[in-house]
Amino acid sequence: MAANNQELQNLVNYGLVKAHVAMGLIFFIIVALMGFIYSLQLDGIYPFPGIEFLSPGRVRMIHTAGAAYGFLVNMFTGLLYWAVPRFTGYKILSDALGWFMFIALQAAVLITVVAILFLGMADNVEWGETPWWLDPIIVFWLLLHLLQFGAPLFKASQRGPLYVTGWYVAAMLVWTPLVVFMGNLIPRFWAVGSGAGAVQSTFIHDLVGLYVTPVAWGLMYYFVPVIMKKPMWSHGLSLLGFWGLAFFYPMNGVHHFLWSPIPMFAQYSAVFATVAVEFAVTSVLINFMMTLRGSAEQLKYNVPLRYMYTGAIFYWITCFQCAFHVTLTFQKVIHFTDWVTGHAHLIMFGTFGLWVLGMAEYVWPRLFGKETMYSKGLSEGAYWLLMIGVFAMFVDLTAGGLVQGFDWIGLNPWIDSVNFSKPFWYFRSITGIMMITGLFMYALNFYKTATAKTGLTAELREA
Amino acid sequence: MGKMERFSFVALVAGIIFFLFADFISWALPMFVLKDIPKKSVEDLAAEAIAKNTTAWSDFNKLARYYPESFKKLCEYTEAYSGAGEVIKDCKPNEKTFAKALRIGHRWYIAEGCWNCHSQMVRPVSNETLRFGIPGVSNTVSYPSEFQNELQAPVLWGTKRIGQDLIRVAAVHDVDWHVAHLYNPQSTSPGSVMPGYPWFFEKDKNGNIVPNERGMALLTYIMWLGSWEVKPPKPFRIEVSEK
Repeated sequence: MAANNQELQNLVNYGLVKAHVAMGLIFFIIVALMGFIYSLQLDGIYPFPGIEFLSPGRVRMIHTAGAAYGFLVNMFTGLLYWAVPRFTGYKILSDALGWFMFIALQAAVLITVVAILFLGMADNVEWGETPWWLDPIIVFWLLLHLLQFGAPLFKASQRGPLYVTGWYVAAMLVWTPLVVFMGNLIPRFWAVGSGAGAVQSTFIHDLVGLYVTPVAWGLMYYFVPVIMKKPMWSHGLSLLGFWGLAFFYPMNGVHHFLWSPIPMFAQYSAVFATVAVEFAVTSVLINFMMTLRGSAEQLKYNVPLRYMYTGAIFYWITCFQCAFHVTLTFQKVIHFTDWVTGHAHLIMFGTFGLWVLGMAEYVWPRLFGKETMYSKGLSEGAYWLLMIGVFAMFVDLTAGGLVQGFDWIGLNPWIDSVNFSKPFWYFRSITGIMMITGLFMYALNFYKTATAKTGLTAELREA
Repeated sequence: MGKMERFSFVALVAGIIFFLFADFISWALPMFVLKDIPKKSVEDLAAEAIAKNTTAWSDFNKLARYYPESFKKLCEYTEAYSGAGEVIKDCKPNEKTFAKALRIGHRWYIAEGCWNCHSQMVRPVSNETLRFGIPGVSNTVSYPSEFQNELQAPVLWGTKRIGQDLIRVAAVHDVDWHVAHLYNPQSTSPGSVMPGYPWFFEKDKNGNIVPNERGMALLTYIMWLGSWEVKPPKPFRIEVSEK
């Protein structure tokens, strides 16, 4: 056991995992706070009125760009530093490169914050609000990221077929630099108008679909079998899920701008591809649910696993919802309403947020040579606050979105739709408080686990 | 099946071929379809507005007349990010100053995140042509050529409507209304949740609050939105004011 541990320690650079996960958690809390502060503007109680660099519009861009680059990229990179060497059996390309990339990433996020808040330099690409001169640097970073994780995957691939996680990560490593390059630079320097709109919508969706989704599913395929100590139910479904996603997901983007001046064939292809993705997603979900069969008891006491399956169910809800609201009929009502905001929060916070929190909670005590987290109570409390908070926000914003959509069609004075939305916005801020409280509890537990003097041991359950 | 599980096969087929295929359908073909619509630079837009004597041009003149001090500062103001890096010596409302104001206004429209709460697209459904713009004056659905210019790269269709759509706003409100609204939105729209933007204003010699150079540019940009659709020209249009 001891020799085995030593071998794993040599394989995985614990420092890089710790640094990325810790920064990811810090940025998660910051972007959640930013979103909460922005929501206060809609409640009419914004705490910093008339201050230029804390204007709600600027804060909102930190909320979205920070969630992408500060929170998700940090968390995912940290978890990949843990998972990739362990399932391939090879070290990452270079530890020094890893530290350079870590510092470069934090610098890029901080530069973005300064540029957006203080310098008024933003880009009107949602999720790509980084000023345009920073985007080539991010593409360069992503190429280093390709080399860093591509090296162990390539070496492992010489020996035999890669595990499922390897396919997702390999495809993501190639996609992400292409996506960021395409989405940020083509609409600025080459395409204009409707063409630019088509590129931007493809970017918005590809950053979710070709970066966040493949990393997250790849990590799920790694962590779930490891935690449950059994293989996935069906390898065939894993193949179907991956290739279905790889083929249909990149074509989804234009569904963000239905009924727009983009040529209709692109809009129809996006609708078709989006509905097709839901079938791929359902096959993946069936695979995970069947893997759980016989082990569902673990969900009661294993909080990381519970995070992962809660997120998986939320994922399926979002995708099921998407198959309907992507149609031109639904879009008449819900486009530009809070429905979309609810959808985005359920997928980003409810699914990917809960997944990375679950994975980080599994990894964190092991990084410090402890068997379990510091406090079971904090761990459980954070889970319930986050889960209930995000689902309540989703239901609230979905309902609010319908109210707005039908009110607009009804041609009532615009201010009516604002007034009708206010109760939904108040409730949204309350769910925000729940989620942020949950995050603080989670972070406190992390801090205590890292600094606890004694070795924490897992408690034995009474049968 | 073993091949489908190799790094090189996944990277090549899923990573590159599928991605390029999707991009071809999603935006390369649409761009090809739209390629015959000329792309206009900001200077082209300014020249066109002056030649057609649109409301954007008359509103720009109006701003210059109302706030001569701020207009002078606008001529002297430079910033690299929006490409308006030049001090204009001939400080009159002309093509050059108009183009400069549009560039700076567009930059701050983005920097303040206006596009997070205001869309710039009228869809052919949900009675949007009736809601945005004034019936008989401007009731057109958004069409590709009105976006085919430098100020729509990246496009500003937006993501959310907490406030109204703005692509026909020139037909709706007066420049005076916008000055008051930008400084304190609740003064013109009670119940609005829009924040005020006092940093686009300053006190002049007489102690009046007037737009500063950035405010002038932002107002010019806002009054430009949809001005190409306002027919007949401004003196004949319906006046909407609160008092």
